[in-house]
Amino acid sequence: MARITENTRKEVKEIIYVFFADECEVDKSQINDNTNIIKDLDGDSLMFLELIEVFKKKYNLDIELKTIGKYAVKHPVQTIGQLVDMQMLIIEHENRLLELDK
Amino acid sequence: MIAFIFPAFTHDYKNHPGSELPGFHDSFNSLLNKASIEFEPRVKHFNFQDNTFLDDELLSQYITYIYSCASAEALRKTSVIPDIAAGYSMGIYAALADAGSISFIDGLRLIEQAFLSIATKTSGTRFAMGTVIGLDLHDLLKIIHAAGNSLEITNQNSTHSFVLSGICKEIEIALALASEEGALHTKLLKVTVPYHSRFLEEAAYAFLAFVKEIPIEPASTHLISLIDQQWFSSPGEIVWELTRNLYFHLNWYKTQQYLLGIGIKSFIECGPSKGLVKNAKFIEGNYTFSSLDSLVV
Repeated sequence: MARITENTRKEVKEIIYVFFADECEVDKSQINDNTNIIKDLDGDSLMFLELIEVFKKKYNLDIELKTIGKYAVKHPVQTIGQLVDMQMLIIEHENRLLELDK
Repeated sequence: MIAFIFPAFTHDYKNHPGSELPGFHDSFNSLLNKASIEFEPRVKHFNFQDNTFLDDELLSQYITYIYSCASAEALRKTSVIPDIAAGYSMGIYAALADAGSISFIDGLRLIEQAFLSIATKTSGTRFAMGTVIGLDLHDLLKIIHAAGNSLEITNQNSTHSFVLSGICKEIEIALALASEEGALHTKLLKVTVPYHSRFLEEAAYAFLAFVKEIPIEPASTHLISLIDQQWFSSPGEIVWELTRNLYFHLNWYKTQQYLLGIGIKSFIECGPSKGLVKNAKFIEGNYTFSSLDSLVV
């Protein structure tokens, strides 16, 4: 399990902002927590998958993709802010993510 | 070494990647004109903003083919020459035309005949294809068995990306089950044909009779099969590849891994899609996979 520090959220947010700016060819300054990933950035599920892989490697996470998928069905992500929140939960809880709903 | 990869049929030409490629529009307009005069007059009405045109499955297939041929022609004119090539699914026709095995017009005839053979042999049943992203093969196989016995995994694009073919109702059930199981993305594709499945075997042999009538030359570029990762170049091998391409399973993931293994470092997606470029992010290796727009200096 990755250790969550004060800086983790900042770091996660920065990675996500830079990732979408790069992938969607927009200026990072045009992205904020309320930016809609699909409507505003024309993002897609492959980007989401790629981002998960980035975080899995960076934080050495033990989590199956389908665990994230099951969680996402109950907690759909639409905005960048929601994605940051979900990513923090993934880092914190890894494969025990679904236990949050119990 | 450079590989040209010709993508499957697509239905989206907005923001198309060839728009800024030097020479693309000249090649595209010239081939469109040739196709409208010598084969199908309706294609001349195509324009990149008109989506209504793309509701016609066959016309849309012609446009993907014309677009892919024009892309390769424009690249060759700028001295980007492939060492090898592959036709992803129905991209095989453009790969063969670019390799000089079939004429441009015969490529259109083959597309038409494949479409008609399939329509005749599959009428009366509603078929479909779907994609599932985010599950592994083991989980997907369990879902397929639960969803119905018509379903086949007809292509694997990466460790967690698959294409299914089968009866429409069972595809819909499988996609719903996949979502429940935790797939990050599922999608019913905009096709009514179960490409690369056993349901097209009869159609493939009807198509073969037509293929045998088409003049076929040895390929000037090394072509690789997505079915078994074998090279094919002789007219006999090409006839067989065209036939089995309709009803044999593909494996793009395995094909790209094989090409990486023999030292291909640069892949170019020669067509209106960027799907293979996006998919490449999930296949590890020291290489580049470029869309046409990323080649523009």
